[in-house]
Amino acid sequence: MSTKGTRIPDWLKVPFAGITPGPSQDKGQNLFPTGNWRSIRPVYRDKLPPCNNACGTNEKIQGYLDLVKRGKYLDAYALIKEDMPFPSVTGRVCYHPCEQACNRGKYDEAISIRAVERFLGDLGQSLKHDVVEAGPSNGKKVAVVGSGPAGHSAAYQLARIGYKVTILEKSSKAGGLNRGGIPDWVLPQHILDREIERLIELGIAIKTNCEVGKDVSWDDLKRDYDACVLAIGLTEPNGVRAEGEDKEGVLYGLPFLRDIGMGTSKVKLGPRVAVIGGGNTAIDCAREALRQGAIEVTMITVEANTDEMPCSPEDLHDMLEEGVDLWHGRALTAVLGAGKVETLQLHPARFSGAINASPITINRNVPAERFAVDNVIIAVGQRASIDWLPQEFKNERGTIKIDRFGRLGDTNFFAAGDIAQFGSGQPLMVVNAVGDGKRVAFNLDKALRGEPLQPRTVAVDVIMDLNRMNMTYFPHFPRAHQSMLSPVTRRKTQVEVIQGFSEKQASEEAGRCFSCGTCNACDNCYLVCPEPCIARPERSNGLYKILVDYCKGCRVCIEECPTGCLEGVPELDFDTGVVRMDTAFAISPGLHGRQAEELLNLASRPAKDI
Amino acid sequence: MATYIQIDPTQKLDPFKSVKKLPLEEYFTSGHRTCQGCESALVMKMMAKAAGPRSIILGSTGCMYVANTTYYSTSWVVPWMHTQLGSSGSAALGTSAALKVLMRKGKIKNEPINVIAFCGDGGGADMGVGAISATLTHAEYNSLILMYDNESYANTDIQLSGSTPWGANTTFSSPGKVKRIMHRRWKKNMAGMMAAGHPECKYVATICMSYGLHGMNSIRKALAIGGPTFIHSLDPCPKGWDYDPYLSHEMGELAVNSGVWPLYEVENGLLRLTGRTEQIAAGKIRRVPVRDYLLKQGRFAHFTNDDIDYFQSKIDDMWEKWLIPGVIPFRRDVEADTPPSS
Ligand SMILES: Cc1cc2nc3c(=O)[nH]c(=O)nc-3n(C[C@H](O)[C@H](O)[C@H](O)COP(=O)(O)OP(=O)(O)OC[C@H]3O[C@@H](n4cnc5c(N)ncnc54)[C@H](O)[C@@H]3O)c2cc1C
Ligand SMILES: Cc1ncc(C[n+]2csc(CCOP(=O)(O)OP(=O)(O)O)c2C)c(N)n1
Ligand code: SF4
Ligand code: SF4
Ligand code: SF4
Ligand code: SF4
Ligand SMILES: [Mg+2]
Repeated sequence: MSTKGTRIPDWLKVPFAGITPGPSQDKGQNLFPTGNWRSIRPVYRDKLPPCNNACGTNEKIQGYLDLVKRGKYLDAYALIKEDMPFPSVTGRVCYHPCEQACNRGKYDEAISIRAVERFLGDLGQSLKHDVVEAGPSNGKKVAVVGSGPAGHSAAYQLARIGYKVTILEKSSKAGGLNRGGIPDWVLPQHILDREIERLIELGIAIKTNCEVGKDVSWDDLKRDYDACVLAIGLTEPNGVRAEGEDKEGVLYGLPFLRDIGMGTSKVKLGPRVAVIGGGNTAIDCAREALRQGAIEVTMITVEANTDEMPCSPEDLHDMLEEGVDLWHGRALTAVLGAGKVETLQLHPARFSGAINASPITINRNVPAERFAVDNVIIAVGQRASIDWLPQEFKNERGTIKIDRFGRLGDTNFFAAGDIAQFGSGQPLMVVNAVGDGKRVAFNLDKALRGEPLQPRTVAVDVIMDLNRMNMTYFPHFPRAHQSMLSPVTRRKTQVEVIQGFSEKQASEEAGRCFSCGTCNACDNCYLVCPEPCIARPERSNGLYKILVDYCKGCRVCIEECPTGCLEGVPELDFDTGVVRMDTAFAISPGLHGRQAEELLNLASRPAKDI
Repeated sequence: MATYIQIDPTQKLDPFKSVKKLPLEEYFTSGHRTCQGCESALVMKMMAKAAGPRSIILGSTGCMYVANTTYYSTSWVVPWMHTQLGSSGSAALGTSAALKVLMRKGKIKNEPINVIAFCGDGGGADMGVGAISATLTHAEYNSLILMYDNESYANTDIQLSGSTPWGANTTFSSPGKVKRIMHRRWKKNMAGMMAAGHPECKYVATICMSYGLHGMNSIRKALAIGGPTFIHSLDPCPKGWDYDPYLSHEMGELAVNSGVWPLYEVENGLLRLTGRTEQIAAGKIRRVPVRDYLLKQGRFAHFTNDDIDYFQSKIDDMWEKWLIPGVIPFRRDVEADTPPSS
């Protein structure tokens, strides 16, 4: 072992007097700085858990699960609110990409993150005053067009920064697809109402029945506001270009759900209903049709099987449980009937490519099938309505032309949500719209302050891999399940299908979290170091110090760190003496995010004090 | 008998409830020269933490003396004294007796002071058995003897001891071209021997500091119960066992989980399996194959599959055929022992 770089203390340079200083708790045996044995140095480095990374708005999932585990529910709620204005909503409707990415899923079952989020969201709903406040006013006015998830999120973040925000919404009620898309039995309206109240509490003005392009013009927006976020979603349903699509009894998914959500629906369904489409909207339509009185509901998809369907497997499962029939590999080619739909004409069909957006090949060389129905609901995607937008800002996809920061040219107009993400490869989901709204709000703020903008999709550094964690410390434990109404009861009512977690369930489920890559103050490193040279200056705070003068670099602490936060870095600077570097640094705001600040000063402190 | 023997009060040492409840103070500090990843050093750290500040620690020659306390320097924050290789027992008894006298004469304050003597497996299971045995018969003197077992005379360069496992490569038993297995004796059953043969001793336990809280709580129990007590700890030694130091902690876990090192305590004559061993015995977890434990260590690198199978069969015997599995090795039936030819 090299002794280069050993720093000989001054008093050791004089001959032994026969008496050496006694050891003390903080300095160890001054005589032997065994740190010079080391070739690998342990460092604390919080890494990004895969759940945080997969979440469309990068909620600090590991962080709030850890707080829930320790019973600090309000802190957990406050943490989630940094990135998510309405956990009560996403806790119900989100397709939880976080759970798909969860490392625990590779070990036994993924953490039920969405259910814990809902638990926190419902806690937030019950608070008299919300934990967030409007920022100190900066005197600037922003218009947010559209009150769906993207507009909601952008307005929320801008108000927190200090902007005077006005939301312009063309419908009679705010909420976008949260209200006029996602059914009540998934997201009860009173939950959404409460979250919209929270926006008003932040000082945000909401103007409903106010359509940009009709009631307010592009020039009005330019004149009356310092900046503007267009979060107008995709509001127009696509057709299937079948003959007779204009007959009475033919409905489109989006308006069908929207009218029910807004309370303006006049539709009376017959007993036999067909739904055309295989996505989530089609599933919602089929399930809603049962609740609107249909007796036999059949879903007809082009996809050859359930695996190809672009939908959430859970929702599909629940739909089938409710008794909807499912047909595959067929396209609607004509709607037959005298003035009103009576029969559907179907031909065998398939997607010509691997992905669902690719063109459909219909085989018209075989005799058509006939299928008798009273109504057909067509739910095959949505498009934008942007006639009012200046031509220079329209793109070939029929949406708004933006740069990678979400900005329209060099204007102070930004776009966010489905309208911005459509065709970009990003999922069109509530949480992605929320994340986009957040990032675009921050960019808007930067633009007005003349600072450089951040790309909407940010590159991540290190995502914690399960293989780099120590599974010895995690006994297998089954996932907690949310209870559900039985299929027979729920298919006839608007009552919420999925029930929330109890406090006990939430904290047990949070307790299953591995805390991937992020120190959760388990104290294991502190316990296993044989020197001992991992010091814990305070009780339970998770801030550890490695006494680098003494750490021999055995790497036991690294190996035994359950979360993979600790890692080894080569001690490269032995030729020139032991150069001190930060003992801890952080790329995600885990515990060491705080510690990093203190440790930044390490270099300037005398070695003996470290 | 009880009327003649004056047992002094001991410190009240309740079990630590969790890692978060441990005292922050270290009474054994860094700067010692044990190897990287030395688990015996970890035992010293945890032992001192478990015992607390009002303790006297006596150490017999071996790594835990030489590496920690040479050149007029020491890692011990609490009072410490070196003792002869075979005399941990005598040192414990003598110190305890001396304290008693000093207190009786009013020369020092009358208070319970922990007396702990530690020894290696060479110093304890080989050289010092007599003295330890004697100490364990003196019910009126409170002391704990902790034998840290790294399965060799490690400090003098890994010579074979009575505690070295069958077949292990040591400097006295290196495998050669002609003979593969140079060590054909089984490890001494030190804790079982102490527990079975010393009716005055109220507490004997086996521990492994890979299960730190368990180990510390055993030490606290031993100190609080009064009279002479004995703890046998198995400590992975990266140098002697020949593995990369980062595996130290895992090696201890494997020793316990493979059933090679059963954890138990005998408290006032009552035997209880503890920790993971209790779970294994209750069928809650399965023993991992000894292969996983042996092949991670260079000292068994010369083992053939037959050797591993034989080792496994002896561990299975211990669990299935001993009079008290893992503790008392007597059997009711005589069976042939057929070690692989070397
Ligand atoms: C039926 C259905 C069910 C869904 N279910 C889920 C689900 O369970 N989970 C999930 O994560 N995602 C779901 N989604 C997707 C999700 O709802 C969308 O990705 C998300 O709502 C997009 O948010 P947004 O704010 O971009 O747009 P929207 O929610 O569409 O909001 C746009 C708003 O802008 C308003 N607007 C449009 N033009 C103007 C104008 N000119 N002037 C003023 N206002 C205007 C609209 O009225 C609307 O309120 C579903 C989608 C549909 C269609
Ligand atoms: C009576 C006596 N014989 C031999 C020695 C040399 N010696 C010093 S340490 C040691 C090894 C002790 O082995 P063990 O007790 O197992 O402790 P370890 O070094 O393994 O920690 C020996 C043999 C000695 N100090 N005293
Ligand atoms: S175990 Fe916890 S930290 Fe890891 S991915 Fe799952 S939820 Fe996130
Ligand atoms: S366990 Fe201790 S000595 Fe070993 S690498 Fe970690 S801090 Fe250093
Ligand atoms: S071992 Fe525990 S306390 Fe130490 S860094 Fe890892 S997670 Fe944090
Ligand atoms: S030889 Fe073994 S017991 Fe001795 S200091 Fe090294 S690791 Fe520890
Ligand atoms: Mg030894």
